[in-house]
Amino acid sequence: MSPERRTAWAFLAPSLVLIAIFRIAPLIWGAQLSLTDARGITPGAFIGLENYRELAFDPAFRDSISNTILLIATLPVWVCFPLLLAILIHQGVPGGRFYRATYFFPAILSSVIVGSIFNTLLRRDGAVNAALKLVGIAPTDWLGSSHTALLSLIAVQLWATFGMSLLIFLAGLSTVPQDMIEAARLDGARLRHLVWFIIIPALRPIIEFVAVVTTIGILTSMFGLIYVLTAGGPGTSTTLPEFLIWLELGKLNRPGYAAAISMVLFALMAGLAWAQIRIMQRNADV
Amino acid sequence: MSKRLLSIPMALIALSCLYPLFFALNNALKTNKEDILNRFGLATSPTFENFTQAWTRSHLSDYFLNSVTATVGAVLLLMLLASMAGFALAILRFPLRHLVFIAILASLMIPVQVVLVPFYKTVIAFGLLNTRIGLILSYTAFFLPFSIYLMTSFYAGLPRELTEAARIDGARFWQVWWFVMLPLGKPALITLGILNALYCWNDVLISLLVLQDKRTLMVGIAALRGEYTTNIPLLSAGIVLAALPIVAIYLIFQRQIVNGIATGAVKG
Repeated sequence: MSPERRTAWAFLAPSLVLIAIFRIAPLIWGAQLSLTDARGITPGAFIGLENYRELAFDPAFRDSISNTILLIATLPVWVCFPLLLAILIHQGVPGGRFYRATYFFPAILSSVIVGSIFNTLLRRDGAVNAALKLVGIAPTDWLGSSHTALLSLIAVQLWATFGMSLLIFLAGLSTVPQDMIEAARLDGARLRHLVWFIIIPALRPIIEFVAVVTTIGILTSMFGLIYVLTAGGPGTSTTLPEFLIWLELGKLNRPGYAAAISMVLFALMAGLAWAQIRIMQRNADV
Repeated sequence: MSKRLLSIPMALIALSCLYPLFFALNNALKTNKEDILNRFGLATSPTFENFTQAWTRSHLSDYFLNSVTATVGAVLLLMLLASMAGFALAILRFPLRHLVFIAILASLMIPVQVVLVPFYKTVIAFGLLNTRIGLILSYTAFFLPFSIYLMTSFYAGLPRELTEAARIDGARFWQVWWFVMLPLGKPALITLGILNALYCWNDVLISLLVLQDKRTLMVGIAALRGEYTTNIPLLSAGIVLAALPIVAIYLIFQRQIVNGIATGAVKG
């Protein structure tokens, strides 16, 4: 083997070993586990797709899927809100640099910190209800009522992450040719025309990227917030698949069943993640 | 004129981004009694009692140390491994190069939730449960693909002549990495280090699984919230202490953080 090849493999080996042990092997193991009736620590017998069949009739699982669909239905808000703010900052609203830094601030906070703060704000005897009482509005149990809990969760997650999308949009906007915007403006185009006919078409790949990354985030990065804000409740009204896996793992007696939920989540994720990887690979042009 | 008008909603949104942490800080300075009587008013006679109690009696100092160890260890390991792998993928020529790069990116498709059960069993099988080294290795495995991606695209952007010149001067490949690429990669390594520090410090799910009897700071805060549901000022003091290092890092390294995020989407 040439020294170049030898060095390459030696330099890659530690990374590949870690990724193989903690990610790839567990994925294969999990797929195998999901086809067994493993209970506790005893390895179970092969039962085919029995776990998946049971899942289809599990009300908790069905609720977690319909909650996910509801969340994904709000995707336009997650994309348009930061896009609008990014365009305004890009077009030179006074104090743009301050807004950029401030809007991103919640995104650096841990979901545990965000969740704990909003829990003290939104709980039944919390600050929001205390403020509402002052102006004579009846209190709402924001986190404890199944009508508002999911909405509260969405709002808090949106608050905590819109700065991330905003930054990505701003990076994309800096690549839109400024002279094109200037020329259109000299021709008398208004801001909404600029946005519709120049900025949005030029930003299309970035908008796609944000939509994909946001959806992945909805599927896989809400655990911390759910854990401290609502614990999946009341009932199953804020339970998402990733939290359900955690609950099943906590019961510890049915690893095969929990693994089956994981596989469904993986199937949901894989297509989306593949789209993200294609975009990243295109951008890295290796 | 219309720009001035837009400043009002934009300023309100900015206020909403800053207020919650200020709210927590204000709560932390109250006594529990004052907080019950007045949920959102300013603390009238600020006290630091909650901070000392959270730090000592609620063991946040121990959790803090666990978080610092895990974060520092994982970040150093990530910087080392990502720089090595990025060098190999971007500079060296070997068969299967593209396939390895795609395979590493593809492992991004496997977040920890998807492998929760077998990952947990793996950690136990290697005797890494409740060890700090186990947490460091877990963080490294899960944050590595993105870090390798970042380093590979950074090194791919450097002129090839750098490597060739060093080779002509008689440097071995590992020397090219150590003496040329590692120093040149500093800006990307700093970005990667800061981003990974944020991810590790803020993580809850992985540390909840791996470090069950020791607890990291975020797990400790989550537990504090469960134990002291009626003592909001004490919980708030814990929140402020846990957020403090991150806020400091953000104030110092804002530019690197912002640029690092942008690189993920648009070539930086």
